[in-house]
Amino acid sequence: MTVVDDGALPRQEGKRDALHHRDRVRRKIVEQLKQRIGEEDIIAAGPEKKLRVPVKGTRQWRFIFDRGRADGVGQGDGESGDVLGPPGGEPGRDGQAGTEPGEELYEVWLDMEDVEALLFSELELPRLRPKAGGDIVHEDVVYNDIARAGPRVDKKATLRANLLRNAKRGHARVGDVDREDLRFLSYRDLPRPRHRAVVFCVMDISASMGTDRKRMARLFFYWCVQFLRRRYEQVEIVFVGHTTEAWEMTEGEFFGRVESGGTKVSSGYELVSDIQRTRYPPNDWNAYVLHTSDGDNFTADNERTLELVEQLTAVCSLVGYLEVSASTYTPTHRLSMIFEQHAAALPGFVSASAADDRELWPALRRFFAKDDVQELVA
Amino acid sequence: MTSVYTAADLQEIDERCQEEVASLGFEVPPVVYHLMRSSEIYDIAARGLPGRYSSSRFGAIYSQQHEAYRMGRSRIYELIVNTDPVNAYLLDGNSLVAQTLVMAHCAGHAWFFASSRWFEPADRAILPRVRGAAERMAGYMAEHGRDRVEDFVDACEAIAIHQPQAQLVRRAEPAEEAYRPTPYDALFPDEVEAEKIRIADRRAERRARFPAEPEADLLAFIEHHARGLEDWQRDVISIVRSEQAYFLPQMRTKIGNEGLAVLCHQEICQRLHLPTDQYWEYEQLNASVVQPHPGQVNPYHLGIVILREVMRIATEPDEEERERWPWAGAGEPLERVRSICRDYDDEALLREFLTPKVCELARLYAFEHVQGDPRRIRVSSRESERIREILIRQHSTFEIPHIEILDADHGGHGELYLRHSADEPGLDGEYARGTLGHMATLWGRRVIVETRREDETIWYVGDPDGTTEECAAAP
Repeated sequence: MTVVDDGALPRQEGKRDALHHRDRVRRKIVEQLKQRIGEEDIIAAGPEKKLRVPVKGTRQWRFIFDRGRADGVGQGDGESGDVLGPPGGEPGRDGQAGTEPGEELYEVWLDMEDVEALLFSELELPRLRPKAGGDIVHEDVVYNDIARAGPRVDKKATLRANLLRNAKRGHARVGDVDREDLRFLSYRDLPRPRHRAVVFCVMDISASMGTDRKRMARLFFYWCVQFLRRRYEQVEIVFVGHTTEAWEMTEGEFFGRVESGGTKVSSGYELVSDIQRTRYPPNDWNAYVLHTSDGDNFTADNERTLELVEQLTAVCSLVGYLEVSASTYTPTHRLSMIFEQHAAALPGFVSASAADDRELWPALRRFFAKDDVQELVA
Repeated sequence: MTSVYTAADLQEIDERCQEEVASLGFEVPPVVYHLMRSSEIYDIAARGLPGRYSSSRFGAIYSQQHEAYRMGRSRIYELIVNTDPVNAYLLDGNSLVAQTLVMAHCAGHAWFFASSRWFEPADRAILPRVRGAAERMAGYMAEHGRDRVEDFVDACEAIAIHQPQAQLVRRAEPAEEAYRPTPYDALFPDEVEAEKIRIADRRAERRARFPAEPEADLLAFIEHHARGLEDWQRDVISIVRSEQAYFLPQMRTKIGNEGLAVLCHQEICQRLHLPTDQYWEYEQLNASVVQPHPGQVNPYHLGIVILREVMRIATEPDEEERERWPWAGAGEPLERVRSICRDYDDEALLREFLTPKVCELARLYAFEHVQGDPRRIRVSSRESERIREILIRQHSTFEIPHIEILDADHGGHGELYLRHSADEPGLDGEYARGTLGHMATLWGRRVIVETRREDETIWYVGDPDGTTEECAAAP
């Protein structure tokens, strides 16, 4: 029977585990969001509203009896028939399985800004290269200089100056710090190369794009635009819609307009090519083309389409094609198959398909993949 | 109020407590007390055992409980671990009166650990084992990545509770069936032949089936028979399973154990002749310990009510009680309490002593959840029969569905087929599927559980790729 006063026994793992837990939940949230980018309530949330995200995968699963029909025993006041407040209970103490599943502990409320910050950290405009002139400003402020005046004292440099000054007078020691010893941190604007970029959003708006496919295409472009605006302040976005012919549109028209008619995909690429030649010369601009379609093209048009894609890949950092296919259509005639056979090897050509909303995120990842080192070296 | 004291002061109080408790007839084994900061106490509380492996699940419990403590909403005064010697952890910052109560309380737990037969199988050297396991686990995390190991631990923990609860009862090996000759065999050669064939068939069938008998120890079965597990994974399964086993006797005896600890601290503190102001503080603390919680049962309170009733029956029984218990009125109330605590688990305690009078003294009621608002409850009855029915069910099954492995090679594809006992209410579908998803990652193939909803047999299926489904026909 002893009393020992030892702080040393168990280590301070609790706090560390708590941090691990936070980190783990964060990652689960990101996974969750990726699955849900197709859901209207995220987009409808807008900048003001908050979004409820129950975090799956952190719940403690176990076999329990059917909920809702459970009964129990309590203590205290109350006559038969009285309704009482929430039954209390601490979750999972003593390693016991409770009788009720714990309330949804892991449920977070995020605003749009959080959602985007969490999601977009994984995306990047690929092969973004410095271009001659332009507007994209990347200015990093770095405290890497020392000055004789400034807002923040650099203690180490000050002491070194003091030591040096004393040493010059024959006493190598620190002391009698004088005003002239004071050194301050100073910053520099690091001029970074300018990266001008234009992104062409091209959407098939013909009749064959049924309501659901149009919705998916718009959803895809919605996230593209959100991502580009959040990450790159001055990137330019050009909206193009096409049926058998193509128009440059305003953002409002692009997301709102309903068209009908046949499909000539080449018309869209033709217009992109024209706009790019006249307004965004490749020497000054990184160019990106993103096109969504249901893959249903006028067969005679395929050859011309391929020609244009080939031309575009020569001057663009990315030509991305997303096929949204909510129905089963003879796959051999699809544009994706044509591209697969004839365009897959073109540098900067990326194709993806999405059968449902959940496949939109993987598609975004394909288009906006972070450059890996090898690619940069090549 | 915090008084300033040293370890030596506590030592002195402990010695006085030990004297008093010994004079009451309790032989208490040695207890080592550790003074700890709140962050350390809450760390142990989150893990359940000091030094247990690192896991973000413990981190979640830790931050939640420690936050509640810092906001003044909860306070863990003490934690106690069943080891030899018993280790108890005191919150540094408790007042001297609180430490006195806590040490008197721990004396009760220490006696219970040493005396209750439900703790006989307990490993009293568990702490070094737990620390060793934590080190191995850290090694696995370094080698295979924290997430991978944690996901695997999560999967194990989902079914860790499914191991035989009554560890004292060893299951008898069922005897092989054999034909027993009778003197009349010669009269019925055809019937005898048919019977022999039938028995041989049954034996062959049993040998072909694996496991031969339904297996309720889910993790142990997976540890030994799952294909494709790496060594570290088998080790993790065994760590999770054996550490869970530590908590099983505690679950079984919660009411008796806490009741006895409260009885000890009450009896000891009465005998310490505390000065008036300290006694007042003690009374307040004691009241908060045994305070009933709405919507649940406070085991400290129900436990002390039952044990005090036992003591009353031993000394002042009424006629009915005299007939029911041969020892009623025989005196020696504490000896009676000790004898009950040695032998009874909570189920037995409740079956015998959850009388209408106890229900009334503890102010128990039965409740149902309000439809559509699971967080609110409706008092359904104050009848002791109804209360007994629910409480005894809770303390015999711990609300853990009884699930057994029937076939480890279901459909000839190595799938695991489980059956949930048809006598019980059905399984919650969402949770069953979540759990099966975990089990399938452990087993490496599909895992199926057969259960009932209303009067229909249904199946839930988990696939190693993470998908789960509900089937109306046998999969």
